Amino acid sequence: MTRLATESIRGGDVAVGDALPPFALPVTSTVIVAGAIASRDFMPVHHDPDYARAQGAPHMFMNILTTNGYVARFVTDWAGPEAMLKKIAIRLGAPAIPGQALHFSGEVKQKSIEGDECLLELAVAASNELGEHASGTVMLTVPAR
Amino acid sequence: MSAEEADPVREKLEAYVGQSISPPVISPDPVNVPMIRHWVDALDDRNPVYLDEEFARTTRFGGVVAPPAMLQAWSMPRPKIEGIAERGGAPNEMSHDNPIVALDEEGYVGTLATNSELEFMRYLRPGDHLHTRSECESISPRKQTSLGKGYFVTWITTYTTGDGELVGRQLFRVFKFDPSTMGAA
Repeated sequence: MTRLATESIRGGDVAVGDALPPFALPVTSTVIVAGAIASRDFMPVHHDPDYARAQGAPHMFMNILTTNGYVARFVTDWAGPEAMLKKIAIRLGAPAIPGQALHFSGEVKQKSIEGDECLLELAVAASNELGEHASGTVMLTVPAR
Repeated sequence: MSAEEADPVREKLEAYVGQSISPPVISPDPVNVPMIRHWVDALDDRNPVYLDEEFARTTRFGGVVAPPAMLQAWSMPRPKIEGIAERGGAPNEMSHDNPIVALDEEGYVGTLATNSELEFMRYLRPGDHLHTRSECESISPRKQTSLGKGYFVTWITTYTTGDGELVGRQLFRVFKFDPSTMGAA
């Protein structure tokens, strides 16, 4: 199922237990550096593999701002432009490094409708070969109808 | 380690709880379209409310808004690239007395980010100029983990506009550990 980028889900379209369409992000050096610089994070572990390895990391790795950005994108790619994120709460685990795709998954855990707004709570996770990179909760509202 | 073991470092850390972790920051620039475009392209996020003004006007937002996850990006300090690696990746000299620096000095030089919780009161619009304050919320008792002994340090950053409206909040938790105690009982 594809939806135009301008279309948004409505509360009535969503049920507890629904899975979000899975998303695989091919993580490359470019993806990591582009995100780090767009978020104005110049820490060398996010663009310099030698520096990151000297710090004990397996490779240079994605910064947290970029991870949050991809979690948000994963959710709004599904929910559409009328979605308003209220909260992104994640636990951080395995680093996201070049050459290992990040696999995003999500599920609707709670839904409540108040007036014109539908509040949704999602469980989300992003994993690679090293394990779970990030997992947690996203809260958002979408139009009830 | 037994629960009764005296921990002078922990007692010293107590003084930081409730105190600012860094000086207040006024973002270098207000929320602006060029930085939004840079982010949207970097993350390949095609949500039209971020750049398509005509479309965004038809939505609940009434005009273009910044991607919510950019919240922290607006307040990142201007980096001083020279010497950044030698400062452990810190964009600037850290002169502010805070628990992270105090733990570094005690040998807890390892840092692992464990939690991030972003809350958005509303989406930001071009022109919003963020003011940021960060306070230490809590410091755990010393814990033994697979990385070594250390402390979970939690701080909360609040984001307000120039006129004082609270627009966002972030909880951030790191584990500060002593790598030489890895595997120690």
